[in-house]
Amino acid sequence: MNLVELVAAGLLVCGLFFYLAGTVGLLRFPDALSRLHALTKADNLGLMFVCLAAALLAGSLRAALLLLLVWLLALFAATVSAHLIAQVSLRSQGQALEPGDEGGAGGPADGESGK
Amino acid sequence: MIDHLLAAAIVFLLANLALGLWRIWRGPTTADRMLSALLFGATSVAVLILMAEWQAIPALRIVALLLVMLAAIITITYAGISRASGSSDQPGGQQR
Amino acid sequence: MTWALMMDVSLAIGLLFLAWQALIGGSLLRGIIMFIVFGMVLAVAWAWLGSPDLAMAEAAIGAGVTGALILVAYWRLKRVNAVEPADPSPLRSGVALVVAVLGTGLVAALGLASVAALEGEPVAGQLLNEALPETGIGNPITGVLIIFRSLDTLLEIAVVLAAYVAARAALGKRQVDLPTPSRDAPLMTALVTVIAPLAVLVAIYLLKAGGQIPGGAFQASALLAALGVMLVLAGRLESTLAVSLWVRLALIVGTLVFCLMGLGVMLFGLPLLAIPGTWAVYLIEAAMMVSIAITLVLLFAGSDGLKGVGR
Repeated sequence: MNLVELVAAGLLVCGLFFYLAGTVGLLRFPDALSRLHALTKADNLGLMFVCLAAALLAGSLRAALLLLLVWLLALFAATVSAHLIAQVSLRSQGQALEPGDEGGAGGPADGESGK
Repeated sequence: MIDHLLAAAIVFLLANLALGLWRIWRGPTTADRMLSALLFGATSVAVLILMAEWQAIPALRIVALLLVMLAAIITITYAGISRASGSSDQPGGQQR
Repeated sequence: MTWALMMDVSLAIGLLFLAWQALIGGSLLRGIIMFIVFGMVLAVAWAWLGSPDLAMAEAAIGAGVTGALILVAYWRLKRVNAVEPADPSPLRSGVALVVAVLGTGLVAALGLASVAALEGEPVAGQLLNEALPETGIGNPITGVLIIFRSLDTLLEIAVVLAAYVAARAALGKRQVDLPTPSRDAPLMTALVTVIAPLAVLVAIYLLKAGGQIPGGAFQASALLAALGVMLVLAGRLESTLAVSLWVRLALIVGTLVFCLMGLGVMLFGLPLLAIPGTWAVYLIEAAMMVSIAITLVLLFAGSDGLKGVGR
């Protein structure tokens, strides 16, 4: 195992850690908004490490740039998705798409709507 | 050695997805289910990138690019239908 | 247990479980999201089986277009009938059992047949590998689709056109309403503005690369169709019943170019549907890409045409 592979392996393990963190957040956090927060941030950091590791292993500038593009797009898409889901989640009090939505988004959402 | 690590990483990410499935199943809100769909998108992209290295098929990076470009369609649709069903003549659920 | 076997097993179990969950009911919306996720895992499965072409198409169609389509269908269903059936479980119906048994039998028969086919001499593959270098096309899939089985592909694109005509005939002059976009989401507008040119670029890359490496007209058109659906849902394109010559031309250009090329070569003494060179492959693929993409978007929007919405 040479140095490049060693560094790539380290980055990969970091990436996997963040993916695991995102999933644990998704499963364990108490309400939709905190889960949203945990997941979108952690997974994108994880994807960054995975992309870095893959770029090192691929060893070509072309592949590296493509992976950079993938990561930047993932960041952007996740930001917008998180924003849209949060917006719906905050507004959906009383207008449910399915029965489970009737309780609203949980903690922070309830606090704000009570003003 | 690095090949084993790549394969282990892919299997680990797939296991990660299996955990995320529980949140789709459980909900409780639609937002939670959408979140799990986001998790699946982000993780599938990582799996595809790692498979591109492990199997030495560079075209899989393009698959990852397609997945990431189109990931937002689902949430845009979800935002659209939630908004539109909110403003329609539906009886509201629990009012506070 | 090797890594490869572990991936085989986890993907197979995962796909079966997701398919089961998508159908089992409980909550319709849960089933829909299970189906969307099923599409993503299926793309990974195709990638794992070494078929990047199929993985690309599945990523664009399965994870992008059909997900949006079913979500919009759910929304329309709720407007027609706001009360969701208590348990839409298909297992309660006796017909479902018969269909399930027949379906399982069909899949098992196909699976056994393909396993048996693996043992024989790979005749078609051998012939393809021998004939491919002469054509100048490096991607065997494009070679089969456009050169060796061109009649099948021509019929496929004709079917796409026929599907659109049938859908329009069934719908008449009614306009289908789509979920109104949230105009107060500035980030969404920015995202669409970034993705639109990039998707067009990648589609053209896929078309060009498809001659030598995985890609091709079907993948490119799936991507463009997904982009069109995204633009419609984000409110950047609006469906209209006004008939535009350009839209009509785009709808038929794939079938038209393929037919004219197939007939035209006969003037030069070549057989019907012969492909005179690599330029012809790219020309036909480009025309097909435009037609398939515009047809899918118009089918999604249920309209005769599209117009841009200024901001």
